Amino acid sequence: MSSRRAVRSGGSAQQSQFLSRRGFLAGTAATAAAAVLAACGRTSPVSSSGGPAGSSSGSLTIGAIPDQDPEVLQRLYGTVADSMSAALDLDVRYTPVTDYGAAVSLFRTGDLDLVWFGGLTGVQARLQTPGAQPIAQRDIDESFTSVFIVNADTGLTPADDLTPLAGLRFTYGSETSTSGRLMPAYFLTQQGVDPQGFPGGPGFSGSHDATISLVASGSYQAGVLNEQVWASRTEDGTVDPSTVLQYARTPEYHDYHWLLGPQAVERLGDDLPDRLLDHLTGLRAGDEVLELFGAGAFIPTEASNYDQIEAVGRDLGLIS
Amino acid sequence: MTTVLVRPRVHPRLHRVRARWGWGLGALAVVVWSLAGAGAFSGEVTNPAGTAQFGRFAAAALSPALDGAFLRVLADSVLVTVAYAALGAALAIGLGAVGAVALARTTWGRRRAGWTLARGALAVPRGLHEAVWGLLLVNLLGLDPWVGVLAIGIPYGAVTAKVFADLLDEVPRGAYSALLAAGAGRATAALYGLLPPASGGLLSYSFYRLECAVRSAVVLGLIGAGGLGYQLSLSFSSLRWEQVWSCVYALALLCLAADAGGRAVRRRVASPRASGDRLRRDPALTTAVAVVLAGVGWSWWYLAISPATLVSDRTGAQLAYVLSAAWPPDVDGPLLSAVATAAVDTVQMSVIAIAVATLGAVLLAGVAARPARASAGRRLAGAVVRLGLLLLRAVPPPVWALVLLFVLLPGVLPGALALGVYTLGVLGRLAAEATEELDPRPRAALTALGAGPVGGWLYGVLPAATGPVLAFALYRWEVAIRDTVLVGLLGAGGLGALLASRVAAFDWGAVTTVLAALVLLTAAVDLVSARARAALR
Repeated sequence: MSSRRAVRSGGSAQQSQFLSRRGFLAGTAATAAAAVLAACGRTSPVSSSGGPAGSSSGSLTIGAIPDQDPEVLQRLYGTVADSMSAALDLDVRYTPVTDYGAAVSLFRTGDLDLVWFGGLTGVQARLQTPGAQPIAQRDIDESFTSVFIVNADTGLTPADDLTPLAGLRFTYGSETSTSGRLMPAYFLTQQGVDPQGFPGGPGFSGSHDATISLVASGSYQAGVLNEQVWASRTEDGTVDPSTVLQYARTPEYHDYHWLLGPQAVERLGDDLPDRLLDHLTGLRAGDEVLELFGAGAFIPTEASNYDQIEAVGRDLGLIS
Repeated sequence: MTTVLVRPRVHPRLHRVRARWGWGLGALAVVVWSLAGAGAFSGEVTNPAGTAQFGRFAAAALSPALDGAFLRVLADSVLVTVAYAALGAALAIGLGAVGAVALARTTWGRRRAGWTLARGALAVPRGLHEAVWGLLLVNLLGLDPWVGVLAIGIPYGAVTAKVFADLLDEVPRGAYSALLAAGAGRATAALYGLLPPASGGLLSYSFYRLECAVRSAVVLGLIGAGGLGYQLSLSFSSLRWEQVWSCVYALALLCLAADAGGRAVRRRVASPRASGDRLRRDPALTTAVAVVLAGVGWSWWYLAISPATLVSDRTGAQLAYVLSAAWPPDVDGPLLSAVATAAVDTVQMSVIAIAVATLGAVLLAGVAARPARASAGRRLAGAVVRLGLLLLRAVPPPVWALVLLFVLLPGVLPGALALGVYTLGVLGRLAAEATEELDPRPRAALTALGAGPVGGWLYGVLPAATGPVLAFALYRWEVAIRDTVLVGLLGAGGLGALLASRVAAFDWGAVTTVLAALVLLTAAVDLVSARARAALR
């Protein structure tokens, strides 16, 4: 290499080059090529193999929207996937999703085959995914309730009349939560309380646990959440009864259910819904899956169970 | 950073500049208007009863979750976050390099219309926050690692293209003109006449982007893209503060590593090692670039990215689905009035946030800066403040919003302050760096004359630091207005809350309207901020 050429290319003729330009570029190209080639045979740590293109014919992707104890979800659905996999002789995989909207979209795109949806999100997903069918619900889901809670400083004592809540700072849970938003809003309307009319507008705490904390802090004077979560937090002592207390319980409504997408049925056969239902309803009391779900049994369900939710959702502008 | 934003020169004349007074009074009026809008002057804003809840959050900082299983999950998440950051930044720099050609004045010459159009086209990718891009991309691509990479790469690419173009335009043009005059083509002349002198600035800025990408990768986790932010949001939604803090510490360590690495590289670029042969390549810089390139390769492998996803039939079908649902935009009266109200809230929120952050940054910059010679006590104070700033920016804004809501009553204020403390974490560091780069002589002279530390700071540092710090603050204001989408919920309102509610209802027509409003608002703020910065120069 002539010294002039070396200088022109940014190097020195006398000293050995740390890394020549040519070597550098070749190395980069080689790394890139190696990465691309190696990536071909790998499963990404952040995704399931997406949709029909990636799914092998014998696999089922299940998912859930975290609604309570999200960090337990991984364990919960790991167990569910194993149990399902053994019973149905399928490769069942669990894909975690953090966001209500994302879960609905992923169900529509076929990334998720079988999802444990809340009442409203189940309706949203079903309306966007022609051919989707509800499979099963828990025994407690056909008579689900929410509880209205108030800060102790409001001086309110448990009652059935919801009208005193109208003048309080009020928070719901997540915006599309059935038990933390939709049905409570419906029951407020039934009693003549405008569900959007709280002073300063209602808040959306984002989760049932955040609702409890915010009402306990007094920033919001009242709130509403899933009774199952309220009961478990009261039991384990997270709730301080001197700061936050139960004010009222809503009437019963249908909530969570398993929703199966049409692509899975196409792939795995028309009898898939029946096989899934048989497996789920066949679980006996004491089964680990049932314990993790906090249920006594799974029971069949049908789309008409969620007609009321759909109607309320349309009224609130959550279904368009 | 510091090589990117041109630091305003101190005006040698001592008379008052009328334009600056105008801007100053205007800014004051806007801050007062925002505070009034947030209800700061009308009635109670604090909720003292909530200190116990806030205390739980704060106390957990001392007892982060450290059990083995959780730490293993964290370690995996850190790798995902790093991979997203590396690939996102790499994509941004690639897009930036291509885009810079389309944006540079050099390309357009006297054709100002074309140049203005090209710059205007940037408003869309720049105006939307990474999290918004993530939200949209999840709908197109499903749970694919591309979501995280593109969500960082697209908005960052647009910013990078603008900065790269400015850097190329500002390089001395002698070599370029000489090459043109000698008969070289324009591309050749640019490659050999413009690129080499600009390469230092380009490299500096690329590393700065990599640092920012780490924080963005965490925010993306919050919308479900995986990684550290995903773990954080899981623990956050059930308020397991011990786990939240573990995630925050992991993120702080990542940020610290990225900051330190990036800073070292930028220092090295700004003041190259003197050596006998000027043309020798700096081995330290070459190693840094090689390590980053290897990191990008590893990230590609680790995330198992497949370019085929982007052009698959499924992606096309989803794109058609979302576009047909999103067009035409919803323009009915109630929505437009909601957008207008929310836009006012968003502006007020961002103004309060930036005012709080600027005030804090000015007060803390002196302590946070690393002085050349200092006592052990001063060093310790500096380290503590810098650590505090690091934690302020490592806790994501949505978490700040919730914990501040424990001690504040609902409204715009908790969201604004949440954004304010987060921005303080970023701005404090920038202000400290700006302070370090100031001429030390005025203060040394005052100290030699017997001035105390406060007097020396007030008269020797503050006047010179005001210009650069305000310039950074105005720059961060553009960022803050985008960040408001992160703290919109919880009754804080703003366009972020509106966007979240429309996305939750899958009302794509309204989503388009809100996104358009966000883009316009960001572009307007960009314009005002650029004008104000020009007045500072």
